[in-house]
Amino acid sequence: MRYIGIGGALAFVEEHGPGGDGAAGVPVLCLHTAGQSGVQWRHVAPALAARGFRVVVPDLPGHGRSEPAPGGPVTDLGDYAAWCLELIDALGLERPYVVGCSIGGKITLDLACRASERLAGVVAMAANAWTGGTPSERGLRRELSDVAAPSRTDRTYLGTLAVVGRSVPAERAELIATMHRREDPAVSNSDLIGWTTHDLRDRLGSVACPAHLVVGADDLWVPAAGTRAAAAAIPGARCTVLDGIGHYPMEEIEGFDGVLAGWLAELGSEVAA
Amino acid sequence: MTTEQVLRPDTRTGPGRRFEDFTVGERFTSAPRTVTATDLADFTRLSGDDHPLHAGPDGILQGPFGIAVAMGLLQGLGLHGPAVRGLLDTHWSYRLPLRVGDTVRLEMTVVRCRRTGKGDGGVVTRHMRLVDEQGRTVQEGTTSALVDAAGPGPDPVGRAFGTVAWGEALVAALTPEFGESLATWDGAIGLRAGEHEVSLRVYRGKVIEVAGRAALGPTFTVEADELTWTELVTAPTNEFTRFAMSGRFGMRGNGYEYLRLTRALHLIVDAARGIA
Repeated sequence: MRYIGIGGALAFVEEHGPGGDGAAGVPVLCLHTAGQSGVQWRHVAPALAARGFRVVVPDLPGHGRSEPAPGGPVTDLGDYAAWCLELIDALGLERPYVVGCSIGGKITLDLACRASERLAGVVAMAANAWTGGTPSERGLRRELSDVAAPSRTDRTYLGTLAVVGRSVPAERAELIATMHRREDPAVSNSDLIGWTTHDLRDRLGSVACPAHLVVGADDLWVPAAGTRAAAAAIPGARCTVLDGIGHYPMEEIEGFDGVLAGWLAELGSEVAA
Repeated sequence: MTTEQVLRPDTRTGPGRRFEDFTVGERFTSAPRTVTATDLADFTRLSGDDHPLHAGPDGILQGPFGIAVAMGLLQGLGLHGPAVRGLLDTHWSYRLPLRVGDTVRLEMTVVRCRRTGKGDGGVVTRHMRLVDEQGRTVQEGTTSALVDAAGPGPDPVGRAFGTVAWGEALVAALTPEFGESLATWDGAIGLRAGEHEVSLRVYRGKVIEVAGRAALGPTFTVEADELTWTELVTAPTNEFTRFAMSGRFGMRGNGYEYLRLTRALHLIVDAARGIA
């Protein structure tokens, strides 16, 4: 765990290696969802490290324990992607895998579009190439300037419960939703503006690293069709629809480190072939 | 056909179900029925509608055909005998084309039971859905029938969505949390199911009136069709947020206050589920 200067501010980064904090193992960069933090990877990261990976979990600027972005809350997911590349340089990660969920998934796709040659492969979860303009940017901006936007924390809590998969035990769903109450609404809303305005459709054909797109069948925010379409537009990409799972696979699935390690092994074998 | 015969004797030997025998939330599935070339020819002759869209080799069976099939499959369920006085209305939507060779079955859910003013009969509203072999909804809608009552009532109110009696039962089932979440609120919450709406007038956490309409109108109204309310109160868990996110519940009126009452609405649905 350490603080490191990225993009003009201090970033909080967790590092888990096969021998504790360290540089050994194939690097995997794990990205969290809108408004949240690296805590979403708390179970996965050490378990994945125990499987021999060097796991790096940053809090994006303005999230968790990282300082805010110097220019204010980020509304362009491309800025986050550039920030991730700077982090990869600063930590000296050589051809890392990138795994992200929701905005983290879309940032992952953006990284594959802009820097495939630097990546071993990507797993983009709960993401598509274009939202079709939903939610509306205008509504999100209005909520951003209306500081009294009501019942924010209840809407986050109940909204999270509504998009967690039906196969997830009630206790686990409750924990996920309760922890999601921890957010800075100005940052979350800005993240969502980034989510709804970022259009990668024309760039997916340029992805040259192995890619795996994953979406939960119970994800009310990200219909499987959009994720399938994005995967179809990426040369050689595969797509998995997870039954009974919603918007947060890494938090919803018990033993997700094993699932992810399997996907990474598949991506790795594609490189060899 | 075996299923039909097993279900039918009820209506052949007795009056069939009376009004009190129906319960909101009951579901029935009919035997399958395959659309034949004879169906298409007969219906074209009967209606005189020979538009190529309806009468050609790949013709889509025209509007009333699906309703007629649904009504026939409904009779096969063996629910209705002489106690039925007549059909009152049909509201119908076409979701997918229906063609010769398609096989559909009827899925019917009772969504409202309302006694007439005179009291000797009641209106039973049924959501009816024609479903194909892939489980897709081909056509759906509601039909209401007037049915003789066995006695004078009273009738259960726990699923009489949007009525004052239902609103009063719901308010009695609210937990103290509801009052706490509205401790500083002054307004009226409209709850609408189909054509029925009830207002809960709230002042500082207390429901001070349950009425068809609050004096100044509701601050906002949450609304859905009767099937959605029926599914909401019979689901294993409180699905209100999922239903709202997927557009099955709508909202009219003050959107700001609607958002502010996110928690309170969830508690109202808990109470509605409790009395159902």
